[in-house]
Amino acid sequence: MIISVSHLSKNFQVHQKDPGLVGSVKSLFARKYETVKAVDDISFNIEEGELIGFIGPNGAGKTTTLKCLSGLLYPTSGKISVMDFNPYNRKPEFLRQISLVMGQKNQLWWDLPATDTFLLNKEIYGVEDKKYNEIVGELTKLLDVKDILKIPVKKLSLGQRMKMELMASLIHNPKVLFLDEPTIGLDVLMQKKLREFIREYNIRFKATVILTSHYMQDVEQLCKRVIIINFGKIIFDGLLNSLVEKYSPHKRIKVMLAEYADPKQVYKLGKISKFEYPELILDVPNKKANSTAAAILKNFQVEDITIEDPQIEDVIAKVYAENKR
Amino acid sequence: MKKYYLVARNTWDEVLTYRASFVMWRVRSVIQVLTIYFLWQVVVPPGKALLGYTQPLIATYILGTLLLESIVLSSRSYIVGSEINNGNLMNFLLRPINYFAYWFSRDLGDKAMNICFSIAELTIIFLILRPSLFIQTDIFYLSFFIVSIILSIFLYFFINFLLGLIGFWSPEIWAPRFIFITLLGFFAGSLFPLDILPDTIYNIVKFLPFSYLMFFPIKIYLGQLSFMEIISGLMISAFWVFAIYGLVKIVWMKGLRSYTAYGK
Repeated sequence: MIISVSHLSKNFQVHQKDPGLVGSVKSLFARKYETVKAVDDISFNIEEGELIGFIGPNGAGKTTTLKCLSGLLYPTSGKISVMDFNPYNRKPEFLRQISLVMGQKNQLWWDLPATDTFLLNKEIYGVEDKKYNEIVGELTKLLDVKDILKIPVKKLSLGQRMKMELMASLIHNPKVLFLDEPTIGLDVLMQKKLREFIREYNIRFKATVILTSHYMQDVEQLCKRVIIINFGKIIFDGLLNSLVEKYSPHKRIKVMLAEYADPKQVYKLGKISKFEYPELILDVPNKKANSTAAAILKNFQVEDITIEDPQIEDVIAKVYAENKR
Repeated sequence: MKKYYLVARNTWDEVLTYRASFVMWRVRSVIQVLTIYFLWQVVVPPGKALLGYTQPLIATYILGTLLLESIVLSSRSYIVGSEINNGNLMNFLLRPINYFAYWFSRDLGDKAMNICFSIAELTIIFLILRPSLFIQTDIFYLSFFIVSIILSIFLYFFINFLLGLIGFWSPEIWAPRFIFITLLGFFAGSLFPLDILPDTIYNIVKFLPFSYLMFFPIKIYLGQLSFMEIISGLMISAFWVFAIYGLVKIVWMKGLRSYTAYGK
């Protein structure tokens, strides 16, 4: 077990102000503080080499959790252990093995080529020349960035810069990688490339990766296991497949009929979601999807038939909706 | 150690990317110093002395401030405040690097660049104006001159850093800094030698940290201080270095605690 979190809570004190001038004056003298539970009693364990998706709506507590795990925030209560370190002590041996990449923060030297930041990180982390050349060569190939290594960072596009940020964070080959919305603001193609890279990194270096994202695609394509968090609480922790099973045990069959069908016959098939000739939509339990489809093909004249897995977005939306405060 | 060398070198490279801006900055310092220089040339006529300063002494004093400004007052660490404010401090907390040493290295990189330029400028000024200057040859004064400069570099760094740490609590980091710059302009002695002030004021100024940034080292160079005065000055200056260093440590710990406990 590389990461273990038990009963972690993190509260913030936020001061409130009534609107307008009166409110401002009032808050000068008597500030009202409210305690916001950003993370509320969560526990989970992560094994070495896992690639985990950490998802939740805005303000759910994802980033707070990552900051606690990397040692930036001191937990209000609860215990965290990352590679047997208490992250908050931020021991050099601990820091040398982790990396936190935030899509919205940058560490690169703005006016200099990214290579200068890499070289500095090499010294900061004490990476040997040979290892440095190896990893930079490898990352350059994986990310396909040979041409932009020597261009000042300020001249790079957002996507190119994100690649460089990732590279800079990986120079020391961290064992545990926290990625906070690494694909934010990138176009679809770049997102795809970055995803492939993250998977590749996870496999090749046997690194443990925790990824937060708004884009369901990221999670769907990368992670076997997901942790869903909302209002500071974990509402689901398990395999992505079982999440789908649990919250959406149906598949959707869409049929375009070639000929008019008798509604009586149609309604025998099962639960009909929509029937407006020529379109017919059914939601059937996963296990019965094949037999139902076969029955349709046998009994009706069909122009087109498709069986759809539930959209992960819909599943997640359902999870959020069911767990409203 | 090499990491801090690289930090300094990157800073140096960074300055070079904005060559025009840097040159304009230097032009500004030179014009400022020349204005004061010509003013004093008029006030102290050749062959006469005013308040203990002959023309070579005052010329050396004023031109010396140009060099000292680049050694002591040039820095990058004024960015600390905004870095804390915009959350970039996180990047450093997550790396095995000392934040103080990091900024000190950046300052050194910046100083190195400024020193090179100011030496070139002084050479040009010397070739054109041909002022008679006071050259100190006594090794005694020269070595104390160097010691006092080292102290003033640390003193300025810690004051600067302390002002940046305000960023932990308030986004208004510039107001206090402007007050400091204004005070500095007057009490560091870059406009005039502080000992022409009335005795009572001068005696107060002697106990403040500002005069040790420029006035005190130049006075040592000019050989106008007695051994006792030098020693007491160094002690006061060292006192301020340690006092402000201690304060920086305390404020840093407090700020970090509020930063990591509440977050941004």
